[in-house]
This record gives sequence, C-alpha cells and structure tokens, in this order.
Amino acid sequence: MAQLRQDYIKFEEEDTVILVVGPENETAFAKYWGRHNLPFIGLPDPKHRVLKLYGQEIKLFKFGRMPAMVIIDMQGMVRFVHYGHSMSDIPENSDVLVTLKKLNAERKPA
Amino acid sequence: MAKVTLNTSAPDFTLSNFEGQPISLADFRGKKHVLLVFNRGFV
Repeated sequence: MAQLRQDYIKFEEEDTVILVVGPENETAFAKYWGRHNLPFIGLPDPKHRVLKLYGQEIKLFKFGRMPAMVIIDMQGMVRFVHYGHSMSDIPENSDVLVTLKKLNAERKPA
Repeated sequence: MAKVTLNTSAPDFTLSNFEGQPISLADFRGKKHVLLVFNRGFV
C-alpha cells in the first residue's frame, strides 16, 4: 500500500483509479485510511463477495490472504492479473505502469 | 477457486466504500482504467 501511495500520481496520469478491496470492516478501513492518508478508494468486503468473485487465494494453514492485483481497462476487460503466492508477492509499480501505458497507447490513434 | 482470465470481461460488482457510498466497477466504464488491489490485510 505504501508502495502504491508513492506512485499514486503516476497512476492518475495513466487515467487509472485504484480500488482497494479487503475483508476488514468499514471501521478498520476508515482507521487505516485516516492513519496513512491514502488517496485510494477503500472497499470493505467483510462478506467476501468480491474477494470470492475474483478468487483471492487464501492459505489455509498460514495466516492471511495472498495479495492479488487486477487491471480492468476502460472497456471493462481484464488486461492484467497477478495472484500472489506469498504475502510479499506483489508486482512492482513499474510493471503495472508499463501495462497501463500500453493500454493508453492502444487507445490513442497512431 | 474461480479466477479471472485475461482478455475477458471483468465481473461487475458493487460495494460501499467505508463512507457508505456505493461504488461499482461499471462506474468507471469508458472513463478510467481500474487497478483492483486485493489487500493482504492491514498491519
């Protein structure tokens, strides 16, 4: 999250909004957002509706959920999917930004 | 477990943000790309 926050402007420049989904309730989200002053949209999903829909992996015998990231383009198509296999398995911002730049290059007529 | 597949239509959803305002994936259609982050939990 801290990593994403650092590059938030770069994501904005690529016409991208960041939605963060998690199993915590709204109180936990509000607290965390307040404490870290996050510019993203925070979506509490305590019933795990979207988490299940998108198949976030849960390691049953370890604590917690694996991180996952999905890029959905303006047409509503999935263009990048990363399912983490460990807690620290998160794509670099630069990789994500390259994908977004490609999407925007395709969008603009040559 | 279901996983989403590249170059297919992303399943739409609506969740309330922590301020109680409903947000749908479809809200951004034609306007913005969406980076959907599934958090691993707050620390």
